[in-house]
Amino acid sequence: MTVLGWTFLIVSLAFVWGLTIWCYYKVFTVKGP
Amino acid sequence: MSETSSTQQWGTRIGVVLAVAGSAVGLGNFLRFPGQAAANGGGAFMIPYFCALLLVGIPVGWAEWTMGRYGGSKGLHSAPSILGLVGGGRSWRNMGVIGVLIPLAVSFYYTYLEAWCLGYFWQFANGGIGIDISEPVADQSARAAEFYGHFTGRGANGVIAGGSFSTLVFWGITFAVNIWLVFRGISKGIERFVRFAMPAMAICAFVVLIRVLTLGTPDPAMPEQNVVNGLGYMWNPDFSALTNAQTWLAAAGQIFFSLSVGFGVILNYASYLRKNDDVVLSGLTASATNELFEVGFGGMITITASFVFLGAANMIGAVQGGTFGLGFTTLPVVFAHMGAAGNVVGAVFFFMLFLAAITSSISMYQPPLAFFQESLGWSRKAATALMVSLCVIGSFLVMYYSRDGLFWSTIDDWVGTFLIFVLAMIQIVAFSWVFGIDRGWEEAHHGAQIRIPRFYRPIIKYVTPTYLLVIFAAFCWQNLGTWVQSVLDEPLRQGAIALIVATGAMLFVCTKVGERRLRAAGLDIDGRMPAGD
Repeated sequence: MTVLGWTFLIVSLAFVWGLTIWCYYKVFTVKGP
Repeated sequence: MSETSSTQQWGTRIGVVLAVAGSAVGLGNFLRFPGQAAANGGGAFMIPYFCALLLVGIPVGWAEWTMGRYGGSKGLHSAPSILGLVGGGRSWRNMGVIGVLIPLAVSFYYTYLEAWCLGYFWQFANGGIGIDISEPVADQSARAAEFYGHFTGRGANGVIAGGSFSTLVFWGITFAVNIWLVFRGISKGIERFVRFAMPAMAICAFVVLIRVLTLGTPDPAMPEQNVVNGLGYMWNPDFSALTNAQTWLAAAGQIFFSLSVGFGVILNYASYLRKNDDVVLSGLTASATNELFEVGFGGMITITASFVFLGAANMIGAVQGGTFGLGFTTLPVVFAHMGAAGNVVGAVFFFMLFLAAITSSISMYQPPLAFFQESLGWSRKAATALMVSLCVIGSFLVMYYSRDGLFWSTIDDWVGTFLIFVLAMIQIVAFSWVFGIDRGWEEAHHGAQIRIPRFYRPIIKYVTPTYLLVIFAAFCWQNLGTWVQSVLDEPLRQGAIALIVATGAMLFVCTKVGERRLRAAGLDIDGRMPAGD
């Protein structure tokens, strides 16, 4: 596993996990207008 | 008595999000994505992949959610009616027939594939499929391929003649569960089920992922076959792949099919939202959930586990085996190598695939059911009976003409791939050019809990349709000639095309009947009334 391999893996995982957690946080906490 | 189509609504916000996400998460997340990534540049594949997600997948999804809710607010729930309303006329309504044909025709074979997952789960829960790991790997793979061919009836037409009776039993169970869930209705059936199934699928994925990541170096005699190298096989970037148009096409295609956009399902599901329910955050959350399963689990499990046990030399064949080769012939060999825990891991993995498949298949039955209720004015019971009859005919044809999977793969090519492109383009043009990006933008933000960044307006209007058109043109250039020739050469494929045409014609007639009925009932099926009425 190269350094670039680790980089792509970590950035991709961070993106999908971050987006998912942010979305569900908003779904459960933000009230409608 | 179940709810009627026009009075149904989602019970909770999380329910509709999980239902749409469940529809999107399917076999492709765990089996197709890793194969595509490994074969097209590894980590570098993620660059065109995320570009396609941001420029095509998420925007088309938002358009579908918005049009679906808009149609529902006018009492319309089927793709022909909703596209007729948004596009403002009969020609759009006629094109909307594709939005019912896709889920209905895909369901003909999808439940059959789902039955394979249930069957494999059952096999692994009861001792595996008889692979002897003391034999050479090639013989183990041959044994797995033999079981797969027998179970799916690939050897000869007729799943019993070419395969085994148990496949029919698993199909019967799978189909009955699907119909029961859909018949119970949006809230009591689909929503309740996905609220259990999606977390259960995530737990199964976690269990398998942890097992794979803790495999270490199972065979000390082959130290290079370890987890880190397995991850490297999947994620080490090959930037030269980015100069190949095939990589960009594969990435866009993967996003497109994975998110279930252009399938006709989101239009229908979103039509059961209330007028001021959010669609922007819900759409984004459903897409994000799909990506988590695809990249976060699919990208970590399949290729890594296969590499650790089979080694780099056998990986090329595994990846080239495609979605079903990887899932149903390579992975069983991998599970056999895991020792006593292998059958448990295999059972959990195939149960996870079964959940992924069933949350997708129930979403295929709801759009035609709503369409028959709406166009023919039938009760849910009568519409269910009609849909079940059609599905039984379609599925039995698929299972009878089982040789080499030619019949169902033809439906998959022409409906599950080609028509999806067509419907997505119809939808994005209807939304951003006919309905109008200004009106569409305003409609999307009714009740929205987050705002879509403003730079997405030109993206949705110009970039997404152009991107889609380019992908579609490249796709046709690459595949259409071969596909047409293979249909001309093979009677089984011609039979599949005949089934697609007959189903489409029947849906078209129903649309005409519905047009008259809904107009007589005073519904605004052509979108002539001012917005907000």
